[in-house]
Amino acid sequence: MSGSLLLQTLILGVLLGGLYALLAAGLTLYFGVMRVVMIAHSAFLILAAYLAWFFHQQTGLDPLLSLAVTVPLFFVVGYLMQRGLISRLRPATLTMMSVLLTFAIALAIEGMLGFLFTGTQRRIQLGYSGSSIEFFGARIAVVKLIAFGLAAAALVALFLLLKMTRFGQALRATIQHPEAARLLGVNTDRIAGFGFGLGLATAAIGGTALALDSTIYPSLHWHWIGPLMAIIVVGGLGSIPGAAAAALLLGVTQSLLQLPLGTTWAQTVFYVALFATLLVRPQGFFGGRLAQRF
Amino acid sequence: MTATIPEQGGATAPTVSLATKGLTKSFGGVRAVDGADVTFHKGKINALIGPNGSGKTTFFNCVTGMIKPDSGRVTLDGRDITSKPPHRIAAAGIGRSFQLCRIFPRMTVLENMLVGVRSTSVLHRLGSSRNAGDIAKARELLRRVGIDHLEQSEARDISYGQQKLLELAGVLMVDPETIMLDEPAGGVNPALIGRIGTLVRELNAEGRTFVIVEHNMDMVMSLSDHVVVFDRGRPIAEGPPSLVQNDPRVLEAYLGV
Amino acid sequence: MPSVSDRAAPAHVDGEAPGRSRFDLTIVGGKVVLAVVLGALVLAFPMMATDAFILSVGVVIASYAAFAVGWNFVGGFTGYISLGHAAYTGLGGYGTALLVLELDLNPWVALVAAAVLVALLAVPIGIASLRVRGASFVIVSIALVLILLLVAQSWASLTGGAQGLRVPRPFGPDVLRPEQHERFFYLNVALVAVALAVWWFIDRSRFGTGLKAIREDEDKAQALGVPTGAYKLAVFVISAFFTALAGGMYALWFGYLDPIFQFSILIGSYMVLMSLLGGIRSLFGPVLGAVVVGYSLEFFKVHYGDSQFHLVALGLLLALVVMFMPDGVIPAIGALVDRFRPQRSSIREMTAEELLAHNASIDDKSAGTATATDDERDLATVPPRSGKDLR
Repeated sequence: MSGSLLLQTLILGVLLGGLYALLAAGLTLYFGVMRVVMIAHSAFLILAAYLAWFFHQQTGLDPLLSLAVTVPLFFVVGYLMQRGLISRLRPATLTMMSVLLTFAIALAIEGMLGFLFTGTQRRIQLGYSGSSIEFFGARIAVVKLIAFGLAAAALVALFLLLKMTRFGQALRATIQHPEAARLLGVNTDRIAGFGFGLGLATAAIGGTALALDSTIYPSLHWHWIGPLMAIIVVGGLGSIPGAAAAALLLGVTQSLLQLPLGTTWAQTVFYVALFATLLVRPQGFFGGRLAQRF
Repeated sequence: MTATIPEQGGATAPTVSLATKGLTKSFGGVRAVDGADVTFHKGKINALIGPNGSGKTTFFNCVTGMIKPDSGRVTLDGRDITSKPPHRIAAAGIGRSFQLCRIFPRMTVLENMLVGVRSTSVLHRLGSSRNAGDIAKARELLRRVGIDHLEQSEARDISYGQQKLLELAGVLMVDPETIMLDEPAGGVNPALIGRIGTLVRELNAEGRTFVIVEHNMDMVMSLSDHVVVFDRGRPIAEGPPSLVQNDPRVLEAYLGV
Repeated sequence: MPSVSDRAAPAHVDGEAPGRSRFDLTIVGGKVVLAVVLGALVLAFPMMATDAFILSVGVVIASYAAFAVGWNFVGGFTGYISLGHAAYTGLGGYGTALLVLELDLNPWVALVAAAVLVALLAVPIGIASLRVRGASFVIVSIALVLILLLVAQSWASLTGGAQGLRVPRPFGPDVLRPEQHERFFYLNVALVAVALAVWWFIDRSRFGTGLKAIREDEDKAQALGVPTGAYKLAVFVISAFFTALAGGMYALWFGYLDPIFQFSILIGSYMVLMSLLGGIRSLFGPVLGAVVVGYSLEFFKVHYGDSQFHLVALGLLLALVVMFMPDGVIPAIGALVDRFRPQRSSIREMTAEELLAHNASIDDKSAGTATATDDERDLATVPPRSGKDLR
């Protein structure tokens, strides 16, 4: 195996890991504020990708511009979903019932996409779709770099929002200790809604990034939810830096394993990591105090 | 019986029932329990008091196995029970109630009682839970706490006070030698506090050891034989209630002087 | 020893469970009649079916019932919702087929052997997924289906990959199609009956009481000495066994396995929907749910073909059940019957004290608030208990 191929694979792994990290951050937010495993996250991801594709199809403009619509839209949808649906479930069975509810939403989204756009595979063709950059003999497609840049920028923005703003402080307080946050005057219900909105906004950004260089079809979300859930478990449910670290690690591992094993078998690395984590260290490898009893 | 038994050490040194040595548990950077050495006396009513956030509940949860301590040892009658899973600790003879009272809301009062039936063999576990022996024992205990007329009600439908009594009766079903109560007087009216106090005394007279975490000072002072005061994750004073009451360190911890 | 409470001392005179009124006897009688009629209808179904297609729908529904009852061992008793039980139907199917094809086993021996193997496999899976509460269990259940789909598609030399796998029919070629359907219908009904009998047996055992306590409050159950880990694992393995049997039976009937349909998240979600709709805490809930959902699915297929719209319908229905009827139909009917129940206490000899308490508890039920006997009336305004998930 040539060095440049290895380097190329490594870079591709990092680029993929960036997208995983962004999406896993979204999943972590939901879990943090509500202890909810949001199965529909990846369905919204594919929905956003379809919206980007549709936008490009109709207007001929760059799909990145669709973000101006999808990000606020998804934020509102996420907020409404938390306030109107998730928060109405009985606390005693919240974990299980919220999984079912978000699963049902995922099915409905998949069905709607299939109904509206048929099961045909779709792909955005852009002027720069075919171009790539050479880097020490490794060829990296421009669209992948753009997708990674988008994901990285969104992650940095999310990080700054959580660390620097009052809202971020309230959100972190809600995640770490809801009762204490309430005592300090934080409206944890509203904050939980915003947390959901933020989470869904990451799906909007991720979906657009995905649409740039991938073929999309309605049932694609099942290929994403498995790896994403594995990532948040390995990272330690509820820890955003943990999720990001696990995402990069697993993304790179997957890429590297593709060389000897092929694409399909390489994907099993997520599941192997998931089972191994639960057997050896159920609270995850990168933080995650929240996970202890879930 | 209202007077507490003064314990002056010497020849009649009390037997140790439950004890911890260097018990430590931290969450993030906060040491909730910090190297606690505590002993509780066998056959006595022990109380564990302390200001809010002093680590009592975490201590309680470490002892009963709900939380694994970071370090330190827990012993019961000299046997090591550190970090054993809660059901093993229950089998070793410690029964516990929960803060704010936990029962099985959608099971009937009688079914709630039957959960605590001890099993030792697979065959016994597969036997009918609605057998005469278990049910008679359950009814006897329900009668004892005074809620036997509710046995067919779903536990979520009875009042909070009745749920507290049900929780206590459910714990007794396991026949524990040591009973740990987390705020038995929390959220209940004075009449019921009195009733719970009487029950505790009677059960104690039958030879059961009690460890009670409580905020209600009247109850602690009138009920307990031995008081341990917690502050910042470790005991700062212990002894008979009258002594502890006047300990300057205790006043300081409570009043924050 | 002296009774603590001097108030409620005289208990029930006859020591029998209270509330065995004539009304209850009527209900019990009604239930028996209903069971006999329904049982007869089920057994007579193949004779009433007008053609092979309707008969095949009956087989599908009976299969679904077997899936749902298998699922409900873990879902109903422990409250752990598995979205990935298709893993066990799929493994049961592939296991049976491969044991027949590769080892030339008798199909019925292969069916049971495959289910046993799946149950063994469920042990490590259960250990990994049940150790941590709730969320991880669901995650693993879904992941398992996805991983098995990957493996079944990729390992073409064994499973036939996307080409699928043909399963030899257990009955010779001289047995015609309607005859096949009829036999498999009865086989599935028998499987459901056995599974229900086991479910009932567990339900009334001490083991079952422990499991139900886990469903209600796992920490509390463990503090009372219930070995929660072992109990959950045991019932999980039983569930995998019965689900695998049902899957193997389906494979023998259908005669063809395709990874996409065997290891499908959809099949797993059917099981959840069926059980939840009927009521996971009742014996016959999953069966009732299977009949309703199975019939609707077939209806949809016939009238709307393979349109993606059935996904939307399934999603909406599941969401509605979760939001508004999480206890299912059967408990809802039970609650309805209870409303016609005459006042239990009135027909019994009671002390005034008991009567008061009884009325209070009945009031509680209808009002949904906590009021109680005289000396505890002030307790109504306590803070709500924190749920299982809050800590």
